[in-house]
Amino acid sequence: MDTSTILSLVLPALFVVFFTAFTLYIIRIIKGPTVFDMTLAVDCLAFDLAVFIGLLTLYFRTPFLIIGAIALALWAYILDIYIAKYFVRREVGE
Amino acid sequence: MFEIVEWIAFVIGLVLVVIGAICDLAGSLGLLRFPNFFVRLHAATVGTIGGAVIPLFGIALIALVSSQLGPYRWAVAGGAVIAAILIMIIAPAGSHALAYAAHKSKSVPVTPKVCDLLEEHEKRKKEVGE
Repeated sequence: MDTSTILSLVLPALFVVFFTAFTLYIIRIIKGPTVFDMTLAVDCLAFDLAVFIGLLTLYFRTPFLIIGAIALALWAYILDIYIAKYFVRREVGE
Repeated sequence: MFEIVEWIAFVIGLVLVVIGAICDLAGSLGLLRFPNFFVRLHAATVGTIGGAVIPLFGIALIALVSSQLGPYRWAVAGGAVIAAILIMIIAPAGSHALAYAAHKSKSVPVTPKVCDLLEEHEKRKKEVGE
């Protein structure tokens, strides 16, 4: 049995688990009583999308998808910092 | 000999990815079920460190030994390791900033409270200032 055969069998099962987690995060984003809950859920969703992109890289056997994972991780951090900055100082920038 | 090393790396990587998927599901369940924001931060840590950093290291290990990617496997492994290290630095910093802002703006009540040193510090600072 080859590694690519095992990957093509295992990865779809993992995709189901990841999609379940995505759905639960999206429910939290929609329900979220405060902005902080929503931001935290968007954070987790972005980091998990980075992992999902990594798994898609292995599934489709193309190296170009992994570049998006780094950008996704940085984007979530920027969102965190701006929301925190706004709620502490009531302004963004400076 | 080299094939055995490749298989070991592949199996370790696959186990890391499966652990990451389980942590991800646990983290999302916790984020949905826990009562308020400060408690949900714990579940978010499971979802980010356990659910994102560990599987990215696993993806790097799998990519290193998957010959179907050709010479690009080094790029995939490097990208995955960089993303994992970035998330390992970024996720605690981001959730710390969010928790500080939530406490400072008083928009989330700190309900299961045993001891709140930040609040006491601010109260003391206000007294000294007056």
